[in-house]
Amino acid sequence: MFDQDKLKEKIAEFIKKPVSFLKEETALTDLVAESFALIEMLIELQEEFEVRFFVQEDLRSIKTLGDLIRLFESHATASP
Amino acid sequence: MLDENELWILSFYRTSEISGALFFGRLAKSMKPGPIQRDMTKHFTDEAVHAWYWTACIEKLGSKPIKLSAAYQDQYLSAAGMPANLMEVLAITQVFERRAIHQYMLHSQIPNIQPETEEALGKIVEDEKWHIQWIRDALRSMEGDYGKDLIDATLKRFHEADQEVYRTMSQEHEERIKHLIKQKTGRMENVRSR
Repeated sequence: MFDQDKLKEKIAEFIKKPVSFLKEETALTDLVAESFALIEMLIELQEEFEVRFFVQEDLRSIKTLGDLIRLFESHATASP
Repeated sequence: MLDENELWILSFYRTSEISGALFFGRLAKSMKPGPIQRDMTKHFTDEAVHAWYWTACIEKLGSKPIKLSAAYQDQYLSAAGMPANLMEVLAITQVFERRAIHQYMLHSQIPNIQPETEEALGKIVEDEKWHIQWIRDALRSMEGDYGKDLIDATLKRFHEADQEVYRTMSQEHEERIKHLIKQKTGRMENVRSR
């Protein structure tokens, strides 16, 4: 079972804000403005949750934190 | 004292090496223990050392590095889109490192190149060859997770993006080098004809 709370904790830790700051409707670019930092965060989360099947196509479809959480959930379920 | 073109080029190298070091340094922190973590850590230290070589080289040649905002890497992200996973980061880096070697080799062809610049180029090119090798090995090790076809397709996509970047930013760099080659060849011909 994918742990959504743990994902939020990791994101909050990465952006150095409390978990309460995170809202599902928040745009990812507002959470992490710099492109290289966003790549770094996504890879760190994939390593942490052992989700390795993101492709660039997936990224085009995610705009908000809620989109990202749902993407992790779907890939975590799909991963062996 | 470096002329304007040479100073711009060496400063551009310095900025790009710093960007590479900062990116790989941060990424290396996220990696789990294993060959990729080890090699990525070495890669990031190499890039930081290269930035130091260029800083020292510019100073030895009597100038100060120019503060440039853009590096090669920024252009790659614009042209290729944001890499979505570690495999894509390594694939784009593989293409980028090949381009960097090409640019450094071209630079080494400048006649009467200063020994300080030649020394830095020689040391850096050797490291860059190893960077290509470890990334190639890492990408092979990922074939089980991502599939060889996807990795090959990703490399192809980033190779196309490289051509796009080359047409814009890298071309400016290459034109500056060609200008230097022409300028120095002209000087040598003038000396010979005296």
